[in-house]
Amino acid sequence: MLLAALPALLPAGLLIASNQMLVAALFASAYSLLSGRAGMLSFGHAAYFGIGAFATVHAMNAVGGAGLLPTPLMPLIGAAAGLAVGIVAGWFATQRSGTTFAMITLAIAELLHALAPQLKSLFGGESGISAMRMPAWGLDFGSTTQVYYLTLCWVLLSLALLYFHGLTPAGRLTLALRENGHRLRFLGYNVHGLGVSAFAISAMFSGLAGGLQALSNEAANYAVFDAGVSASVVLNSYIGGVGSFFGPALGAALMSFFGYAVSDITQSWMLYQGVLFVGVMMFAPAGVSGLLGSGSRLFAQRGWKLALPVTLLAVCAALLLSAGGVFIVEMLQRLCSQDYRAMAQAAAKLPTIALFGRAWSPGSVLTWALPVALLVLGAVLALAARRRLGANA
Amino acid sequence: MSSSSILNIRGLRKSFGATEIIRGVDLELRAGEHRALIGPNGAGKSTLFHLISGNLRPTAGEIVFKGQRIDGWSPERINRHGLARSFQITNIFPRLTVFENVRIAVMQRRHVQYNFWRRIEGMRAIREEAEALLERVRLQHRAGTLGGEMSYSEQRSLELAMTLASDPQLILLDEPMAGMSAEETQYTAGLIRELTAGRTLLLVEHDMDVVFSLGDSISVLVYGQVIATGTPDEIRQDASVREAYLGEEHAA
Repeated sequence: MLLAALPALLPAGLLIASNQMLVAALFASAYSLLSGRAGMLSFGHAAYFGIGAFATVHAMNAVGGAGLLPTPLMPLIGAAAGLAVGIVAGWFATQRSGTTFAMITLAIAELLHALAPQLKSLFGGESGISAMRMPAWGLDFGSTTQVYYLTLCWVLLSLALLYFHGLTPAGRLTLALRENGHRLRFLGYNVHGLGVSAFAISAMFSGLAGGLQALSNEAANYAVFDAGVSASVVLNSYIGGVGSFFGPALGAALMSFFGYAVSDITQSWMLYQGVLFVGVMMFAPAGVSGLLGSGSRLFAQRGWKLALPVTLLAVCAALLLSAGGVFIVEMLQRLCSQDYRAMAQAAAKLPTIALFGRAWSPGSVLTWALPVALLVLGAVLALAARRRLGANA
Repeated sequence: MSSSSILNIRGLRKSFGATEIIRGVDLELRAGEHRALIGPNGAGKSTLFHLISGNLRPTAGEIVFKGQRIDGWSPERINRHGLARSFQITNIFPRLTVFENVRIAVMQRRHVQYNFWRRIEGMRAIREEAEALLERVRLQHRAGTLGGEMSYSEQRSLELAMTLASDPQLILLDEPMAGMSAEETQYTAGLIRELTAGRTLLLVEHDMDVVFSLGDSISVLVYGQVIATGTPDEIRQDASVREAYLGEEHAA
């Protein structure tokens, strides 16, 4: 409901960001079919996302620019390409499990990333390939709003299908494959076949996500094969929590929103992403969805009289810790920048640094005492929350 | 090979590097027979099971099951040919429910492993078969429990249900009573006798009471070779067996 109403509420820039959030959410859910439900950790899912994107762009340019399919059905081309490449790649990768599997997936993605700039006719070289969305079914697909609704429809349909997969025999066997592939063989199952099918379905929906991105950008560039794309879908999924169905989608939506909101303000976005990931893995390995789950269990089991103060303490602690951390990172980042060094050399002393609307002197104790105080206070609150929880256990 | 023979092993050998574990095993099972395989630790009983079930490839020799040579086949192909086994260490899907464990075992024979367009809940035949199997091993009250959260002997019962799900002609059970109390052992022995009626059974077990009560016949494996096969009474009388195996067991 809220998602459907967004175009009316948001300015165009934010609507484009919402579109990216939807695509990222689908990509993370597709990825998690493999890493969560089937228990196979892939480090190269950018390959299938990218293949889907390029296949869609080529399909849009086919038939003299008229397109192979009507615009609304274009993502199907991405899905088909993802499926086809996923079957081949999965056939090789699922011969092995564990670390070897992860390395094969990484190698396949890197192979594509290295190959793509060479194959100019296929991947358009450095500049990539662009295409035009053609009008279809009485819609011109010229506005961001129309593209947003198209993306929304495909993402909701795909999420429903991915969820449904978990209820089918194939989906239940995927779980069993994660739990104990060895036992499955002695029950008469072809484990390699099951692995390939899980891999291929995951690659198919990744390709669909890639197709949606290409459709909304009207372009694809070989940068979609970048290892960073593979890495961020892993980070997004685990930050959201692969243990639950909506966790990865939630994580991806949150992270791409933060990416959109923060990357203009700071140059350290990648650092924050990494710190957030490490923090989640250390203190909430079940991810954001796991955190929400245990939070609501806390309210249900211990009553709001205990749960509310604990939750508030924990939220305040998290805010204070992040504020202190962000302050230090941003100060250091400015302090170490080349501009600042040049200024300092010219002035022969340490100039003040403007941050959060104030000028801070890097030599003053107060400048560093503030973030340290924030961190200490945050830690104290976190301990208090933990103690309250423990005392009433 | 007699006409009623279901499993026929001839000259089977298995080496790991320079070490030969199975050193020329000959073993024949008649259809419907319940055979216990005994022998001291390290005699190669589990290795022999791994060879028959396809977990390991023999170095030499042949295994004929239901008229076809199965040595070198994959475990899943051997299973589909009519052989099911349990493992010495409990081997289930620990984080799936008991019902789901059995349902996964049942699904194979229904050929639905690549069905991703129908809900499993809607497949009545599979559900009923899984429920019936759970009842046969008296685990219906545990259907919703996670496999890994049950007691050890209950997990063994679950394994029995999963082993039976493929309706096998030959069942291999590797120390099904290991680590059980006397009471659990007695219960499980009764369950195995009931469930394997009409099927061929090859059983590895250390508990001599179980061996003598479950096996119509006994084979003794010592140092990678079958040194004797006979009825429980014959085995009790056999001098070489007493020397190699029962003697030390009775002395202990």
